[in-house]
Amino acid sequence: MADLFALLSWSSSSLSAHRAASATASHNLANSNTRGFARQRADLEATLPADRLGGAFIGRGALLSGVSQVRDAFLERQLPQAFASSSYSGAKAQALEGLTALDPDGGAGLTNALDAFYGALRQLTQAPGDVGSRQAVLAQGRSVALAFNRAAQNVDGARDGLDTQLEANVARVNDLARSLATLNQQVRIEQASGAAPNDLLDARLRVQDELVQLTGAAVVSDDDGNVNLQLPGGGALVNADLWATLSTRADPSNGGHLAVFLTPAGSSAPVQLPNGALGGALGGVLDARDGALATAEASLDALAFDFAGAVNTAHRNGVGLDGVGNRDFFTAPAAATGAARALAVDPGLLADPRQLGAAASAASLPGDGSNLFALIQTEGAALSNGLDVFDGLAAAIATWGSAVDSARTASARDGAVLDQLSAMRESASGVSIDEEMIALTTSQRAYEAVLKVIQTTDEMLDTLLKLR
Amino acid sequence: MRVTDRLLFENAARHAASARERFEAASREAATGVRVRHPEDDPAAASVMARTISQAGRDGAIAKTLGTASDELAHAELALDGVSAALSRARELAVQLSNATYSANERAAAAQEVNGLFETVLGQLNRKVGHRYVFGGFQDDAPPFDATGAYLGDTGVREVEVAPGVTVPASIRADVALKGAGGGVDVLATLQALSTALAANNVAGVQGTLDALDTGIAQVARARSEAGSHLNVMDAAGAAALAARTDAQARLSHLADADIIDAASRLAQAERALDAALTAAARTFQPSLLDKL
Repeated sequence: MADLFALLSWSSSSLSAHRAASATASHNLANSNTRGFARQRADLEATLPADRLGGAFIGRGALLSGVSQVRDAFLERQLPQAFASSSYSGAKAQALEGLTALDPDGGAGLTNALDAFYGALRQLTQAPGDVGSRQAVLAQGRSVALAFNRAAQNVDGARDGLDTQLEANVARVNDLARSLATLNQQVRIEQASGAAPNDLLDARLRVQDELVQLTGAAVVSDDDGNVNLQLPGGGALVNADLWATLSTRADPSNGGHLAVFLTPAGSSAPVQLPNGALGGALGGVLDARDGALATAEASLDALAFDFAGAVNTAHRNGVGLDGVGNRDFFTAPAAATGAARALAVDPGLLADPRQLGAAASAASLPGDGSNLFALIQTEGAALSNGLDVFDGLAAAIATWGSAVDSARTASARDGAVLDQLSAMRESASGVSIDEEMIALTTSQRAYEAVLKVIQTTDEMLDTLLKLR
Repeated sequence: MRVTDRLLFENAARHAASARERFEAASREAATGVRVRHPEDDPAAASVMARTISQAGRDGAIAKTLGTASDELAHAELALDGVSAALSRARELAVQLSNATYSANERAAAAQEVNGLFETVLGQLNRKVGHRYVFGGFQDDAPPFDATGAYLGDTGVREVEVAPGVTVPASIRADVALKGAGGGVDVLATLQALSTALAANNVAGVQGTLDALDTGIAQVARARSEAGSHLNVMDAAGAAALAARTDAQARLSHLADADIIDAASRLAQAERALDAALTAAARTFQPSLLDKL
């Protein structure tokens, strides 16, 4: 029976429902700039069961049935992949873009150094006995060696820099994986009460997003409310409360660069992850380091090795002003690996330019420069890859340029996809200040109306009590 | 689409940033005039650029080397010109003093002149250009003729590159031109013989040198024309190499340099776009329900 006292009590529960609605709007407004926050909705419903009076049902006011967050499940499923791709190609493009070693027109670059070397050899053909001109050839030979050294150091330095980045990223992944496992546990505990722990879910999603960006892991949700992460190579990074640990170790088979190892939860045996088993920023960094940068380093090495070999072969046929032949021009290591870094002009030759083998035989000293033409011929001689030294360099530049260009294009494309999806996520789940102001005003008005009900009921009671 | 405040701000930031990035790229291109700085700016052009830079460098080096060789050979040619003049004078003297009317004293005076001519010729032949004696063959670090006119040099002929892998002779063989190697006359010995005959007042001896002098003059003239033709080849090749270098540099500029008009118009466009992005951003921020409530 709907007596006046019952009316007062229903009004009080309605008041708290509207208070909750305005609190939710305030919470949304306060978090309108919080990263990863999804707007929340206070869901009000009519209190059940309704009262019965005679043949009619009389309502008992409003009730807060729950506070839910607005998320588009379809978008949320697409986003991890977009995060992973975008950070993969972004990290790769960023790693490749800084390199200047292969710039075509670098004043102190390889092309110019090789050019000057052959120019000096040509000049020497007209004064083979002149020590000053011989000195000039050696100086230009030294510039070529230094240009190779510098280019190789530049590339290798970039690869070393990526190792440092890899280490920092691996440490961050371990922190985040641990937090995600802890958050899984907290979410399960909170959900046991039946209510959705919205802000905790947001916090977990933020950690999940960052982990996906770093590792490219796939997100698998289970029925218990856990978020599990699976690395692209198949290893479990986070499984409910358990997390695996990543670590790095120098790989001697890859020039001492770092390899990533995964220690599964509950195990103490790290397993090496191949580069393809990681995505996201880690995968992008590994791909840049062991892909385009490694190719550039290898082609510089091959070029330096072949060039030094060709020049040495021609030089060995020549005779120095001292009448001695069969000398090397460059000292280079026995194998191509590391040749660009180690290339140097033979120290004996550098100390005594008279040893430069310009003449074809000891009998024609000192004016004979015929072996210089053999040395100049190395300019156009096919090296081990079938190209001459300049074409080899041009090919390395083209390969490098295409790799960076396609990484940059991929990064722009993946970035655009992510921007679009992020905008859609923001559109679905973001806070609109206009909307929340309206919601706040709506609940304020409703609150005032319920207060008016209480006032009216009070007046009715007063009227009733004053009856005599 | 539901538009939230954060979406507005994020879009504004993104659009302004990308407009600014394009503006920066356009202004850098317009300011530096360089379109391809790194290989990734245009991989195909960058690779051709590297090749073209090396071609320009090679052609420049060939032209420079040809210049050096041509200078040396021109000096040698000049020296042979001096030798020619001396030989002509010697022939004049020989013809004049073969005449029986001249006295022994006059022949002795002429012998003195011929000795002077011999010294002049030696001086011309022992000419040093830059670091080397141009008539010594490969033995170019010491005077090729001694005081008696004996040849100390060798038969080496210096070559010079006129095009990649193609060489032409860049020196004259003094043993052929002056010492008669391979069937000619020994010009220096002929001068000495003339001087000896004149000093000894030997008319028949003086007459006897006339044929050799004629052959010698022709022999030196041949050497001069040989030098001249080498010089022509070198000059033509040098000009061709310079033209090729200019051509390569022009191609390089096509590949790497920005089209200034195009760059300037893109800069203006990018500036407009940036201005529009910023104006649009500022506009979208203004209306808010907060101001109306």
